[in-house]
Amino acid sequence: MSSYNAVKIMVDVQNLNVAFGNKKIIHDVSFSVKKGEIIGMFGISGAGKTTIIRVLTCQIEKKNWTGNVKVSDLTPAKKKNHSKILANIGYVPQLETLNLYFDFKPMVNVDVFASNYGMNKKEAKEIARSLFTILDIPEDTWDKSLKKMSGGEKKRVSMALGLIHRPEILFLDEPTTGVDASKRYDILSYLKKLNRQLNTTMFIITHDLEAALICDKVAILREGKLLEFEVPQKLILSLPSEGLVVRFIIEGLNNDKINIIKKFVSVQKIIRVGNEMLEVLMNNFEESLPKLIQYMMEKGIKINSMSRDVATFRRYFQLRIQEEEEKEKILM
Amino acid sequence: MNITGLIRKEFGRIKSDKRTLILLFFIPFILILIFGLTTGGGPTAFFNAAIISRDEISCKGDFSSDSDEYDQIFISIVENNCSAFGLYKSFNSTNELEYNYSIEACKELLKNELIDVFIVLPANFSESVKNEVDPVLIYYVDGSDLNAVNSIEVAIQEPIALFRIETDLLTNFTTMAPYMEFDVPFWESQILNYAIPILLSMIIIGTTMNLTSLSIVAEGPLPRMLLTPAAKNEVIASKLIAYSVIMVLQSTEIFVMTAFFGLYCLGSLFDFYLSLIVIGFCGISMGLFISAISTTEQAANQLYIMMFIIITLFSGQFISLAPEIRPIIYFLPLSHATPLITEITLKGFSINLKYVLSLGLISLIFISLAYIAYRFKKVEV
Repeated sequence: MSSYNAVKIMVDVQNLNVAFGNKKIIHDVSFSVKKGEIIGMFGISGAGKTTIIRVLTCQIEKKNWTGNVKVSDLTPAKKKNHSKILANIGYVPQLETLNLYFDFKPMVNVDVFASNYGMNKKEAKEIARSLFTILDIPEDTWDKSLKKMSGGEKKRVSMALGLIHRPEILFLDEPTTGVDASKRYDILSYLKKLNRQLNTTMFIITHDLEAALICDKVAILREGKLLEFEVPQKLILSLPSEGLVVRFIIEGLNNDKINIIKKFVSVQKIIRVGNEMLEVLMNNFEESLPKLIQYMMEKGIKINSMSRDVATFRRYFQLRIQEEEEKEKILM
Repeated sequence: MNITGLIRKEFGRIKSDKRTLILLFFIPFILILIFGLTTGGGPTAFFNAAIISRDEISCKGDFSSDSDEYDQIFISIVENNCSAFGLYKSFNSTNELEYNYSIEACKELLKNELIDVFIVLPANFSESVKNEVDPVLIYYVDGSDLNAVNSIEVAIQEPIALFRIETDLLTNFTTMAPYMEFDVPFWESQILNYAIPILLSMIIIGTTMNLTSLSIVAEGPLPRMLLTPAAKNEVIASKLIAYSVIMVLQSTEIFVMTAFFGLYCLGSLFDFYLSLIVIGFCGISMGLFISAISTTEQAANQLYIMMFIIITLFSGQFISLAPEIRPIIYFLPLSHATPLITEITLKGFSINLKYVLSLGLISLIFISLAYIAYRFKKVEV
């Protein structure tokens, strides 16, 4: 994060509840975001990520939500604040078709959006040039048809449009969706670059758990409840043995073998990854690992290979969601 | 917030939508071209006629010597002087038996398409002419050919006009249209000018409705635009302004085209031009309404077709409506647009404020409904 020193709270959400009719979508969600932070909003479909963002971007009427919400010190609860909030935020939708006029050139798109913020053409073009440069959009494409640009270039133009009015907060909906694997990291790098250079607070709504790599904090949501809102590294360190994980490839891996391993006293969590791979988290990692290996051999479990690693945010997310599901099962 | 930016954006979108633009400017061009070229400057076709004279009065005894038997003069004119008519056969039927025979013979000729019309001169024809009492001229045409019916109705004025000149009389004829003084002279582009009121109204309403019917529903980034300080009313206003400018250009094209192909306008040309714009604005409002209430492009297209059919069929211009549903006419733009143009071009009246206000009211209703629908439309990104 570029600005840990900044203390200005850009988004403050306290006890947010959202309901449409009798259907409650968001349950008592609270968090606050400082200037310059990148927040990753993670959760499986229907978790409520988009709903929270819609409250913050004035898209949901006040009658449908309760709680204290402030965006740039203004509450979206009051309609008169909407244009001020909207002038201060940027939004990059998931699909470029929702953000770009494909029949126009990038610079014409810039003109269209900038005019909505009362910016003059010259000012908008200057900002666009600097944004396009940061985002490595080739200069020879700036005045060519958007239709001729590649998917990645369109995505970057879309991001630039979200920032054209220099908003304090930028919301990005699935910025890496539809982008091939090799380009996903590029997109994330560009976001980090923009964040560093412009000190823009960013909200990234995504299913792409790799996005946590650039996030200062992550929000994990499930069925409208905020399970975690924390620095991703801290979450990983909260795992047994600070997230140290042993990865086994086991011949003929099946549920019986997994249940045998689960019975080993230090084992805390087991994640099956593919057909024969297993990741195990346990207490007192260094001491317990040799004992676990011996235990497995005694039980006739043949280990083909083994490696140790630190858990990724992906693993943390999986485990956290599993934990919630198990809790729910017990309650049922 | 700067509405000019939104307007510029709308112009850009219109410019890039080549298909709709071609439709908008090409359809009027082609239709007027076809009508203009096919009608030329005089009567539209040549009709073979048969004439049955029942004229019983011999003028020689009862009238002055210079007054010949007027039925023969009329027959001679049709046979020798008309550009629109040729005489196929004439019958002199002074008694009932002969008359019945002639009628049957003429019906047979009409049925076999050997003639297009047969004219009956009544028993008191010469007497009526001489006494300057309106003579009745009855003509029978093939009712299955609507174009011929209309054309003959117009063309029949030619022998009548020539007959008046020949006889130097000012006798009126009851076959003439009730408002004969508002007819297009036969040397003008008659079909074009008779068609203009309904033709232009339909072209303008149809194409302008089409122009705007997708303007909201098919604009992908529009919901995103609402996450800027742009307000919904500004979005609607910018569309209305931009599309109205395009519509004025279309009206200008139509005005020039119709003038080129022989527009017959007894009234003010400015009033005529203004009428086109008022009608076009109504079409734009209706298109915006369609776009605002539609959830998909397909739904908008379907609604457009449905509305166009309704405003055409129920306008009272094509089919006569039952009395109990006649009030519906007043809510449809075509019902006001057609008489608005007719009064200016054919009757020479100045622009009728009643029709203008009706069209304005319809526009206002549709714009308001479009705004309300768009205001409450669930728009989420």
